[in-house]
Amino acid sequence: MELDLEWEQEVGSKLIVSIASGKGGTGKTTIAVNLALSVGYCQFMDYDVEAPNASFFLKPDIKHVKKVTIKHPYFLKETGADFSKCAEFCHYNSVVAVGSEVVFFPELCHGCGGCLLVGPERAVREKDITIGEIKKGSAKPMIDFFMGNLKPGYMRTISIQSELDKSLERSELVLIDCPPGNSCPMVFAVKDSDYCILVTEPTPYGLNDLLISIEVLKNMNIPYGVIINRDGIGNDEVEKHCIRNNIKILLKIPNDRGIAESYSRGETLIEYDESWKTKFKGMISEIEGVVKR
Amino acid sequence: MRVAISSSGTSLDSNVDPRFGRCPYYIIYDTKTDSSEHIENESRQAMGGAGIQASQFLANKKVEAVIAGNIGPNAYRVLSAASIKIYSGVTGTVKDAIEKLKKDELKETLAPNVQSHFGTGPGMGTGGRQ
Repeated sequence: MELDLEWEQEVGSKLIVSIASGKGGTGKTTIAVNLALSVGYCQFMDYDVEAPNASFFLKPDIKHVKKVTIKHPYFLKETGADFSKCAEFCHYNSVVAVGSEVVFFPELCHGCGGCLLVGPERAVREKDITIGEIKKGSAKPMIDFFMGNLKPGYMRTISIQSELDKSLERSELVLIDCPPGNSCPMVFAVKDSDYCILVTEPTPYGLNDLLISIEVLKNMNIPYGVIINRDGIGNDEVEKHCIRNNIKILLKIPNDRGIAESYSRGETLIEYDESWKTKFKGMISEIEGVVKR
Repeated sequence: MRVAISSSGTSLDSNVDPRFGRCPYYIIYDTKTDSSEHIENESRQAMGGAGIQASQFLANKKVEAVIAGNIGPNAYRVLSAASIKIYSGVTGTVKDAIEKLKKDELKETLAPNVQSHFGTGPGMGTGGRQ
């Protein structure tokens, strides 16, 4: 028994590190991708299913694509049934009943199935709707790559992320590229993390959203550190805040036109300047130290 | 005919509000009796589908026509299903709009004149990415 436990710790207890930010466009994917390439051997998961872009940089070879479906209602109008209870029930206004007419707005439906429960018996039915897909593959050097893709116009971000969750394994380091913001999709993406890297920029907007992210992570008891990207623009309020509150600044990346130009060509930071590799590797070791302590 | 006008205020001198789903008030005017009442628009705070909710509300109020600045596609679908006449692109005061309607100077709108979420201000809307 003793041996089994040790074995489990050895194989099944690798870290899950998520990369998040309140403000969008601060460099989450840049950090996540460069971390993955620096470490070389990891599981990479793009949880920003509304706008996944890590694949542009990791250029994975996709081997499996799986459709993600949810249930949507449809209403048998010809029964002449009264659907007003369905309309009253729907918090998202996806069903409207006016007189004998019923109007359904699929893009507003969250697929809860409530209208089936409260509506006229047998006159409300369900069918499968494809809302997106998840893709699995591999990228060089030894990266297991996973991403989700939500169809434009659909609101069910979490349904795609839940499907990605099923592939989460702790047999190697897991890097999660999170969606921006601090609402449900971000919370869902960071929920299993052992550590969260918050990427921000040194501007009032960056600081404002960083503070909200920190509140979220504190609530979830997830340790975190900060990366200041495009250091040199804006002001030093982010840095001052971190120092004052004893928040770890993991890395600063300067605002450099050369970095921006290589990014716009689809290149990574470590391709632009290989010395970053050591810094990213060091950062992961540092995070491992913090989590194990 | 009972007509609902999207209004920025509670009186007939208020301006027609450009937003149908997220206007603060509706003035409901009865052209037969020349009587009017104002109703606060509770849908304006809806997470999403404000125009849909407002249309359902006005349909339940037995309104036969609506006058507004802009009507989006979702509200348009519900109002059409409820056989409510739509007059969009209207500006000026509520009183002027009613006068024009009486003189048959308003042209019925036969297609939505703006996209979804047109009247959604910053910080409101569907609660998606922030």
